[in-house]
Amino acid sequence: MSHRAPKPRKLWTVAEFASAEALLAAVRAVRERGHQDVDTYSPYPLHHGSEALGLKKSRVPMIAGFGALAGVTIAYGFMYYINAVDFPINVGNRLPHPPPMFVPITFELGVLLSALSIFFGLMFLSRLPQPYHPVFDHEAFRTASTHGFWISVAGAPASSDTERLETDLKALGGTNVATMREETP
Amino acid sequence: MSPVHDPASDSDTHAAAAVAGAATAPAQVDLEGAPLIIGEHTSESLNKSLLDHVWRKAGPGWWALFLPSLAGSGLLLTCIVLLEWRGVGVWGNNQPVGWAFDIINFVWWIGIGHAGTLISAILLLFQQKWRTSINRFAEAMTLFAVLCAALYPTLHTGRPWFDYWLLPYPSTLGVGPNFKSPLVWDVFAISTYLTVSFLFWYVGLIPDLAALRDSSPTRRKRIVYGLLSLGWRGSGRHWHNYKIAYLLLAGLSTPLVVSVHTIVSFDFATGVIPGWHTTVFPPYFVAGAVFSGFAMVVTLAVPARKFLGLRHVITDRHLENMNKVILATGLIVAYGYLMEHFVAWYGGNEYEQHLFFSNRAAGPFHRVYFLMLFCNVVIPQLFWFKRARTSIAWMWIASILINVGMWCERFIIIVTSLQQDFLPSSWDAYSPTWVDWGMYIGTLGFFCTLFLLFLKFLPAVAVSEVKELNQELKH
Repeated sequence: MSHRAPKPRKLWTVAEFASAEALLAAVRAVRERGHQDVDTYSPYPLHHGSEALGLKKSRVPMIAGFGALAGVTIAYGFMYYINAVDFPINVGNRLPHPPPMFVPITFELGVLLSALSIFFGLMFLSRLPQPYHPVFDHEAFRTASTHGFWISVAGAPASSDTERLETDLKALGGTNVATMREETP
Repeated sequence: MSPVHDPASDSDTHAAAAVAGAATAPAQVDLEGAPLIIGEHTSESLNKSLLDHVWRKAGPGWWALFLPSLAGSGLLLTCIVLLEWRGVGVWGNNQPVGWAFDIINFVWWIGIGHAGTLISAILLLFQQKWRTSINRFAEAMTLFAVLCAALYPTLHTGRPWFDYWLLPYPSTLGVGPNFKSPLVWDVFAISTYLTVSFLFWYVGLIPDLAALRDSSPTRRKRIVYGLLSLGWRGSGRHWHNYKIAYLLLAGLSTPLVVSVHTIVSFDFATGVIPGWHTTVFPPYFVAGAVFSGFAMVVTLAVPARKFLGLRHVITDRHLENMNKVILATGLIVAYGYLMEHFVAWYGGNEYEQHLFFSNRAAGPFHRVYFLMLFCNVVIPQLFWFKRARTSIAWMWIASILINVGMWCERFIIIVTSLQQDFLPSSWDAYSPTWVDWGMYIGTLGFFCTLFLLFLKFLPAVAVSEVKELNQELKH
């Protein structure tokens, strides 16, 4: 697949490890050797995986908070404008602006926009949907979602010494080591 | 089934305590006796046993259930067409019983849906590990039950093509919805609930869809599941955001589920009809919802785990725990009944007293009333006994009776209150028509159709979470 008029961008070296522990040890070792673009792949979240990759705190909670705030503001503001300012409806002589009556919808819309922003925030932060990724070129990589533990190290073709990297990964216990060339979409 | 390269990949069995829950819980020793996962498994064997039912050809059992369900969906469609053709007069609704089967079924279906959210969200927040094998399925149940529920108020408006009037849009009439009306609250509550339940379910499904993609036997299936999984790679960066996103969705769903049934109870409690405006309504409705929902999960889980070969992950302990929840919520429901009657007596309001002591207990529907008490108050008491809690036959029959009982409860609340209110001159009898029954049976068929399709094409168990739990329990 990778021979179809490739326009090389990055090289991705992948290797499979026998256990989550071995994978994380390899991640730490590879990062210590100066590789920046390292990632892990596993069928379930790894304990201490984010720390080993040196990831910053997730931005999802902040996005969720803004979503909730937007929902609450829009809901209350809208109800106030429609029922109290734009077209007050008198039903049973109740107030045009009764705060307790506006609580349910305010809450619901806060939850709705918060949930939507969590979902789309997750998609945005994970760069999903992304049906194609260079690591998928490696047929053995299919175990990453079922039972395998994989590492990937990416680098620009000019600067990376993939042969040495492959030897290093094998020395760390990696199997199925391979290097893929990224195609332009 | 997956193109496995080398047996070394099995060795995640001896991975150290390197994994933790989506809630990042440290691995805990399970103190209770019965196991959550029976037997020794590796991620690979779990992957195979839990996804196998998707690749297997549908057996005669599946078709035997699917075809009647599909016929039920056809009945639903027929009834809806008839309803739109002739108008709501084809229902048994009359003056004064303006709400009947439509709202009964609406509340019943919504209530059933709530257990799914409770299992997936609240038990996740409490780090109850026993939720893991049943959450996916309970979430699917929620989604399909809410779809059935949403159908009723939509059609009950009489002219569903004007339902968009309930939404705030810049209308040429210059008038917006009356946001002080609980029926408008319902629109927002139900649509939010449907959306959030879907997102929660789908986010949970993504890693399992990727596992399906990577173990698909054919290229076509690989493409379909590949598209559905959005290209999920299980990357450390994905999981980093995913864990917190899933937890936050659970955190949002928890108050949401309480708010939705509270708002459903406001449909009644903000009115002046006798029997509808006790202050106990919101918690009593929420408890009733959880009660009937858990009963429905048991009703569905018992046959599903047998036919899909999932007994090793949906164990007797899961079922027993659900029966305990049924007992607890059943007691709250019984307390709700007691309080309603007490308040009617203690409040001294003659309309309330007439309703509870003459109309409900001795009126035209007293048989439904006593059936309700039998199913909802007497039957759950069986679950005080371990033998009943662990007997498949008992719990299955009990779970069905409880759902019958909860349906009767909504019938009693709605119909008896409306048919005899303040003025005896405006009282009237009520009887449902075949269209009422047809729509009810039809939604049951529609629900089963969706559920069977789900069991056929998607993993019935949260595979990724079970693998993680399996790993945790080993340490």
